[in-house]
Amino acid sequence: MEQLFDIIATCRISDKEVLVNQESILHHGQENEQDWLSTIYHHIGLQYPKFFKMDRLCKAGILGAELLLKDYTYDHETVKEDWGIILMNAASSLDNDRHYQETISEDNYYPSPAVFVYTLANIVTGEIAIRHKIGGESSFYVMPDFDEELMRELLVQAFNADPKLTHILYGWANVDHDLYDVRMFFCRRNMKA
Amino acid sequence: MEELIYKLKEEIIDVLNLEGMKPEDIDENAPLFGEGLGLDSIDALELIVLLEKNYGIKLKNANEGKEIFKSVRVMADYINEHKTK
Repeated sequence: MEQLFDIIATCRISDKEVLVNQESILHHGQENEQDWLSTIYHHIGLQYPKFFKMDRLCKAGILGAELLLKDYTYDHETVKEDWGIILMNAASSLDNDRHYQETISEDNYYPSPAVFVYTLANIVTGEIAIRHKIGGESSFYVMPDFDEELMRELLVQAFNADPKLTHILYGWANVDHDLYDVRMFFCRRNMKA
Repeated sequence: MEELIYKLKEEIIDVLNLEGMKPEDIDENAPLFGEGLGLDSIDALELIVLLEKNYGIKLKNANEGKEIFKSVRVMADYINEHKTK
């Protein structure tokens, strides 16, 4: 039986390393002065100033998407209604929630709108969608671990439910304190299935 | 006034996380929104918070921001007239 979809690209971002299609492209060295995510940003030559306004979860998701799509030829200008996004993590937006909590912990506090806007885990799917003009369905699940079997079921359901769906960016994007665990994938419907 | 304009540029770069920008890179007469720095609605809210936090200026209506945030110079003029800190 033909597979319903093919995985075209994979990427992994941990505290120590970045891999694309299982090949290491960057190691986290002690000599890096800037934070790890900014180091990756500059290393891959990304030019997207909005990156620096995002929380760490969105930055990690944006970098994951960039790594997955960097060698893929696609329409950058038109909104792609036939592309979707499915992501999961365990920490939700807790990394940024703590940061926001700090900004409102003093008696005379001034809440930051730019921090508050990222106190929702699924914002990362929105940021990826904006960056790459992805107009299809997106979803975000908070799970204890990366349940690959559940993810596979979700992908099959998505492709079966929407015949127009052609591509999905999916995976696990967990950021908590300085711990990064991003395992993202890019798949395309197998037209022969 | 030029001192306030420079300080305001530094504050804008800081609160809006304009990575890699220096005050010298911002034209005080250029639009902040749309063209120019291309700021968005969340940035506008941050600027409203900045006015209150750093200068004691509370906007009665968020829509006032449309006129006040036309450029850094317009913002500085407004601060000069209304600051309480």
